[in-house]
Amino acid sequence: MAQTGGNPSCSEVINAIQNYLPALYFTFSRGKTELLADELSREWDFLYQREKARVREIIKETEDTHPGLFGPRRGKLKQILTQGIAYHHAGLSPALKDLVERLYEMRLIYVLFCTETFAVGVNFPAASTVFDTCRKWDGREFRGLLNREFFQMAGRAGRRGFDPVGRVYVRIDHRFPDQAGFYSEEEIEPVRGRLVISPNTVLSLLYWKTDEEINRLLDQNLAVYQNNREGRKIKEDLAGLEEKLAALEGVFCPQVDTPACYMMRSKLKKELRSLARKNKRGRPGMRERREEIRELLKTAQKKCHHRPCTEARRKQTDLAERKSRLERRMRVLGSHARDYERDFNRVWDLLEDMSYVEGRKLLPRGVFALHLHVQEILVTELVFNGLIRDMPPALVAAILAGVDYVPGRDDSVEPGPYSLREVETLRKSLLRSGVPENFCVWSPLPGPLASAWYEGASFEELLSMTNLQEGDIFSIIRREIDLLRQIERAAGDDTGLRRQIENIRLRLDRDEIAIPGI
Amino acid sequence: MCEMRASERRKNLFAGEKPRQKTKRRPFRRDSGRAVPAGPIQLDPFQQLAINFLAEGHNVLVAAPTGTGKTLIAERLIGQVLDGGRGIVYTSPIKALSNQKYRDFTGMFGVEKVGLITGDVSVNERAPLLVMTTEIFRNWCFANPEMLDGMTHVIFDELHYLDDRERGTAWEESIIFAPPHIRIVGLSATVPNVRELASWIAEVRGRPVKVIEERCRAVPLELGWITPESDVLDEGGAREYIRQRLERRRGRWAALPEGGDEALACD
Repeated sequence: MAQTGGNPSCSEVINAIQNYLPALYFTFSRGKTELLADELSREWDFLYQREKARVREIIKETEDTHPGLFGPRRGKLKQILTQGIAYHHAGLSPALKDLVERLYEMRLIYVLFCTETFAVGVNFPAASTVFDTCRKWDGREFRGLLNREFFQMAGRAGRRGFDPVGRVYVRIDHRFPDQAGFYSEEEIEPVRGRLVISPNTVLSLLYWKTDEEINRLLDQNLAVYQNNREGRKIKEDLAGLEEKLAALEGVFCPQVDTPACYMMRSKLKKELRSLARKNKRGRPGMRERREEIRELLKTAQKKCHHRPCTEARRKQTDLAERKSRLERRMRVLGSHARDYERDFNRVWDLLEDMSYVEGRKLLPRGVFALHLHVQEILVTELVFNGLIRDMPPALVAAILAGVDYVPGRDDSVEPGPYSLREVETLRKSLLRSGVPENFCVWSPLPGPLASAWYEGASFEELLSMTNLQEGDIFSIIRREIDLLRQIERAAGDDTGLRRQIENIRLRLDRDEIAIPGI
Repeated sequence: MCEMRASERRKNLFAGEKPRQKTKRRPFRRDSGRAVPAGPIQLDPFQQLAINFLAEGHNVLVAAPTGTGKTLIAERLIGQVLDGGRGIVYTSPIKALSNQKYRDFTGMFGVEKVGLITGDVSVNERAPLLVMTTEIFRNWCFANPEMLDGMTHVIFDELHYLDDRERGTAWEESIIFAPPHIRIVGLSATVPNVRELASWIAEVRGRPVKVIEERCRAVPLELGWITPESDVLDEGGAREYIRQRLERRRGRWAALPEGGDEALACD
């Protein structure tokens, strides 16, 4: 058996399921999709000659409209496409992703190695789906897939009117067999409210909404609604528990908790035994207590069937435990009841401290930030501290590319000719004056790419400056275009600023970065 | 077939040798190149029900597995609204998907009828059918609700994005602040608490919400597990296999204090 350290190679996996192709082979790293595709292509070929010719033809047509389609990095993909194999992930350029998607829809791809993004939105059904692993990095930690995520992907298996069942395969890793997941549609996780109060939300509420409407968001959002519901449910449960507890009281006879009662006697006897232990014997007061217990036990035991009483007592302890658990949960809910009001006031205070608002009235900074939807405080401060207006446009492009960008561990870009130190200084002073870190997210990393693109560099030149992938560069510049449009709107009557920003935007929105087909 | 040991194979790799296979493997193909038939024209009962509720002017939430045809409901509604000379908004969670929908809809309803507005692209902003990202719709609800005067519905595709830590806020603010005359249409993957979501929307919108749940998949799923030996097991078999494997490993580690890993790999 051809094996990689005890695991079946993906060739073997495909061999096992070869009656159920096309397959979507999910894995959660871009590199892995490429690696597996490469591996499979060394052994398998899924296309007949005429199909290969068709693929070459389609590639040719696409290359004619998108020169440099495969660029310096995707030669291998071009080759394996003619074998009916491909990979698809967010690092590919949109034109290439589109090509792979089209070939898939034309049934010219038999095994597609892909990441989760392939399963969002547009429905590309397959005969089977394979999970190379059930664990993914979610930006914070490695964790198992949720049922919801698993079925979003798994559900691509089964083509309507074509396959009697959709086949889903989870690979068991020979080293970590216990990481293979088990999933059930009955256990899909409920949707929870996730409202977050951002500076823009506060400004928008203050500017456009009445007090009543503001309260509607703070008191009736989904999270609050769900907590209230849970609270009501707990109250009902508590009332039910109280009733049961009260009913149990009626079981006991009047002698309960007196030395005549069997239960009381066993409790006392137990205590006596424990007091007799060596480690307790010497302590002060113990001797007296033992005397006392012995005295109490001299009382005659009541002759009775004590079974119903002990049963009832056991139930009582159980119920009391459940009750205290619910009460604890109730206290937690109670302590979060005013979270949104608190968050809202916190951001409002910050905006007031920074002269964005005065009470409910928006000041110039506030009016500006009203039109921004990413890192609104940082961007407003960049503009109001003179780091944007009348600065060289390539420098502005570099600064704004880094807004809201969080570099990956191994990302690297050759440094550009501009110094971005002033932005760093401004950011530090904002943090010092109490602006939370998540309102000042910025990185110098993508800057040189944006300024080079502004100055007319080719996409291939950008690629030679960095190890970032085509899709990453595309989304960095598209996101910047989005931000530039927001700043244009925020500039309002300030035509100087608006023109300056518009000029940058129009020069960025070209060639490979432009949206195809729109 | 295990004559070639892992170490030998590694040596071969280092020598830069390619596998000695002359011809590549081909699968046995029963269905060579036939196109997937288009979905049935006949509406499923749940689709018909949703369309009826919408025609009666209700807010509607549809929760159904992927591939069961939620989109068809949206398309029917869009067709009806456009025929009636009114406007409608379609929001999707990701830009690439918005672009895709824009292309689909222009093919279906004509270029002049469709607009696209995402953060970085805006085409035909005054069209009666607007494809947007949810964030843009949210911004309109605050800044220019008058742009939505002629619109009757907003369709939220993939409504379960409400639960997204980064972006859920846009959906919530949209639902709470959409102008009162706008009807909400939510399309969601299967979620267990869709009725709770509906009653929340009903509370904030002050109008009842009809819920349509389709639990059955158009094509049922069959789950299997593939072992390191390339066997396909069902759930019971897989659980047993994993249990045994873990147990054996524990035994092995105890018996082989060093170099155990190598021995395991050639098992």
